[in-house]
Amino acid sequence: MIRKEAINIVAEKIGNQPIISANGFISRDLFEVCDKNSNFYMIGSMGLASSIGLGVALKSTKKKIFVFDGDGNILMNLGSFITIGTTKPENLVHVIFDNNSHESTGGQPTATNKIQLSKIAKSVNFKVFQVKTKKQLVKIFQKIKSIPGPIMVIVKIEKGGIISKRISIEPSKIKNRFMDSLKK
Amino acid sequence: MKELTQRQIFDYLLNQGIENFIGVPDSTMKYFIEQGFKKNKILITTREEEAIGIAVGMSLSRSNSLVFMQNAGFANSLSTITSLVQLYKIPMIFLIGWRGFLKNDAPEHTKIGKIQPKLLQALSLQSKILNEKNWRVSCDWALKLIKETKPCALILKRDFLD
Repeated sequence: MIRKEAINIVAEKIGNQPIISANGFISRDLFEVCDKNSNFYMIGSMGLASSIGLGVALKSTKKKIFVFDGDGNILMNLGSFITIGTTKPENLVHVIFDNNSHESTGGQPTATNKIQLSKIAKSVNFKVFQVKTKKQLVKIFQKIKSIPGPIMVIVKIEKGGIISKRISIEPSKIKNRFMDSLKK
Repeated sequence: MKELTQRQIFDYLLNQGIENFIGVPDSTMKYFIEQGFKKNKILITTREEEAIGIAVGMSLSRSNSLVFMQNAGFANSLSTITSLVQLYKIPMIFLIGWRGFLKNDAPEHTKIGKIQPKLLQALSLQSKILNEKNWRVSCDWALKLIKETKPCALILKRDFLD
């Protein structure tokens, strides 16, 4: 399964619920497969999608908040695990698309094949699920509907694949339409 | 700055609608943070950028934040401020403790303390220095700016040595 396929499956499963997506190819894929007002594309500030997601989750408690993260992104902000683990938002689902590489900077390796991200996440109070196939991915998003968070889903994906177009929406417009979607 | 003033500043900002106080502690603003803990309003993060990210998320949910840090942490956050806070026009107040303001402060603060005003200027991040007399006016100025969805900074000078 390549990243774009995985993102397509998850986006379809969660429908109109808010997503904070990490910079690089993750936001670009999401923009191409399923652009909607409730997507917040974080185009800069690498590593911070999980923190932005935490902020939204703590204040919009009636909504389930999804973070679309990459392995390179989360390794830059492992500290966010600590704060998520101590504030324990029940409405936060942290999805990590893990291809063991910094794909958008040229495919350099990350360390996720040498360490166990799942163990770190478990130790800070996440409920962790790992999937490798499309079938498992569909199944897991059905299953977590009734489980209180914080939840982490690590989706193992292949390196490479399709490069999606850049996001063509102005950042302040991305913000405004996301904020309006939270009110509904 | 005096203990009482720091506590008054916290209470004032809280009463004026700042709902979240997020950041990394700095001894310059020790009593400000202590007052926040008393009111159960402080969230301490592992790094300054993380605090900014959380404040951005809360702002997206229409809840205003102050992010506190030392100027060393402000320097850590430059790229986050430009590529997130300023790029998306997210309103928030930075409260920055200014180490290295005194020339004989500890050596690790000397260089970054010297360029602190230039860093703010380079970022075009509007700021005011708080003091015992003007703090209320400066807070009102910051509160007005965030209503206009503009981020800004309040600076607290480290005016003592220990």
